[in-house]
Amino acid sequence: MLILLGGFLLLMVLGVPVAVSMVAASLAYLAVHGGAPDVIVAQRMIAGVESFPLLAVPFFILAGNLMNIAGVTGRIYAFAVDLVGWMRGGLAQVNIIGSVIFSGMSGTAIADAAGIGTIEIKAMKDHGYPIEVAVGVTAASATLGPIIPPSLPFVIYGMMANVSIGSLFLGGVIPGVLMTLFMMLTVWIFARIYGWGSDAAFSFRKIAGAMLEIGVVLSFPLAVYLLTKGGVSQNLAIFSSLGIVLALDYKFKFSAVMALMTPVILIGGMTLGWFTPTEAAVAAVMWSLFLGLVRYRSMTMKSLAKATFDTIETTASVLFIVTAASIFAWLLTVSQAATALSNLIFSITDNKHVFLVLVNLLMLFVGCFLDTIAAITILVPILLPIVLKLGIDPVHFGLIMTLNLMIGLLHPPLGMVLFVLSRVAKLSVERTTMAILPWLIPLFAALIAITFVPEITLWLPKYMGMVR
Amino acid sequence: MAQDIQQAKHTPISTEEIARTFDEAEVPVDLTGHGTEDWITLVIFWLMCGCVFLQFFTRYVLNNSFAWTEEIALFCLVAVVFLGSIMCVRTSRHIQVDFLYRYLSPKAGRMLATLVDLVRIFIFAYLARLVWRYSAIISDERMTTIDFPKMPFFMMIFAAFVLMLLRSIQVMVANIKRGYSVLERPAAFDAPGIDEAKGA
Repeated sequence: MLILLGGFLLLMVLGVPVAVSMVAASLAYLAVHGGAPDVIVAQRMIAGVESFPLLAVPFFILAGNLMNIAGVTGRIYAFAVDLVGWMRGGLAQVNIIGSVIFSGMSGTAIADAAGIGTIEIKAMKDHGYPIEVAVGVTAASATLGPIIPPSLPFVIYGMMANVSIGSLFLGGVIPGVLMTLFMMLTVWIFARIYGWGSDAAFSFRKIAGAMLEIGVVLSFPLAVYLLTKGGVSQNLAIFSSLGIVLALDYKFKFSAVMALMTPVILIGGMTLGWFTPTEAAVAAVMWSLFLGLVRYRSMTMKSLAKATFDTIETTASVLFIVTAASIFAWLLTVSQAATALSNLIFSITDNKHVFLVLVNLLMLFVGCFLDTIAAITILVPILLPIVLKLGIDPVHFGLIMTLNLMIGLLHPPLGMVLFVLSRVAKLSVERTTMAILPWLIPLFAALIAITFVPEITLWLPKYMGMVR
Repeated sequence: MAQDIQQAKHTPISTEEIARTFDEAEVPVDLTGHGTEDWITLVIFWLMCGCVFLQFFTRYVLNNSFAWTEEIALFCLVAVVFLGSIMCVRTSRHIQVDFLYRYLSPKAGRMLATLVDLVRIFIFAYLARLVWRYSAIISDERMTTIDFPKMPFFMMIFAAFVLMLLRSIQVMVANIKRGYSVLERPAAFDAPGIDEAKGA
């Protein structure tokens, strides 16, 4: 066990790629302790990614990358300015709303921070916000990416913990809204303290316009529901409602309706049990291809190839860790590490809440120096048996774990988003750390609420009948 | 910092302006620098997409799905992961932790980074050997839904590991020539930001 965990941690800290560290530690363990021929490493690695749910990973990444070139980015932010630009600290609020919409299309935090984050920071800086504020808001709102569905960490967690990915996605909706509200409240408080004004004139017409767009988007699932209730076949109901929305969009030139449809198609399809997560991801890809190639015509073969290469790179770097983790996590169980930890924890406490506090601290610590996917693949096999014994719902635990790891990405001293943003904003790591610090308050508040009030997470999946 | 924030003067922003900021930000596409193996991966990637699209279409529109699409798509996924890893090795994009190097002297950092390169080369070599031995064990297995041997598939994974090995040797040589690796100066390996790309 010492060779396995110690070897892995040592190699990783030295800078060996995470996946290679896992394989090296596993090979060393097998060489010393025997127990299985080393060919099993090859077998496990290949079998580790041969799983249908994992097919969702490249498609969610592709959907996010395609959305970036589908010509919707500018429209989304124009919509956000209409909706919240008039508030105090307008551009900070716009930044948050923009991230919320993007979270509904992509599933990672680091990519969000580095991609649109760069432009968000620049826009805020150009309009008189100190760069620290721009970096802080961008970092905090990047954590929404994996909480609001779709989400890569949820796919990996669902696979490792054998939990329905659909119910994890649904479980993320209300916590995502809660986090958004907390962050917007923080901006409001900061705006009061420092006397920030609004960044766009208050215009009732514009707000009404933005509200109307939200209304159009929400009326789509409603129309489908009513039509199917009225006896129309499902396919016909979906296609006719979609046709009407498209026609309306074409006529009135809405700014964000098409982009806002993505999360509706995704979440709606999975909630009603039409799509598996993989199929939902495919639907999202088809939708963004439709927007980029037919509706806005902003994609070229070149940009499509570039988006594919980016997708392959992210997919390979994420799933290569999963292949390595499939041997590493198996050896962790074989080497009794899980039992040892569970005995240790039960000798300290058998109280659910004390355990949750301990585990939160552990995951915050782990999250700040270990990659999210690697952390999930290592922690789930170790912690899940204890979680189940204490009667904590695995969907709830998945939310807690993901949020912890996301906060870990940006809290000092070693968060990965912190480093990415410090490079993007050309700010020293120390100043970036100080810039992000105040924004951890709403995130920790959300974390505490989500940890101790399981209903925030579980109400929606329960209501939809996906969790008992 | 507090003082900075108070002195902030905000210029108003319009809807059109923010839309333009985001649309203009597009960095020109540059596809040079991708190797042959990357383009093969790209083809396999879209083959995988095609299979899943087809499954989606046959299931929802024709209400009758093809069984083989799923198996082929999964094989493509495995191939994309291992072939794509070659690209990650070449561009030093495999997920790694570099915080230790902030606290090391350049000389110590250089030695450690070289050690890391050596460990990586050794592991890829070992894995290539393991995949070779594994494929020998199951050499006569065939696919479940279509009558086709699995051997070419395993040979591709073997080739992927051999290429990862070769690329990691190449990266090590480049690191030594350059005098630093991605661990020591991560910023030098970033994609060009918006400012640089626009020449601002």
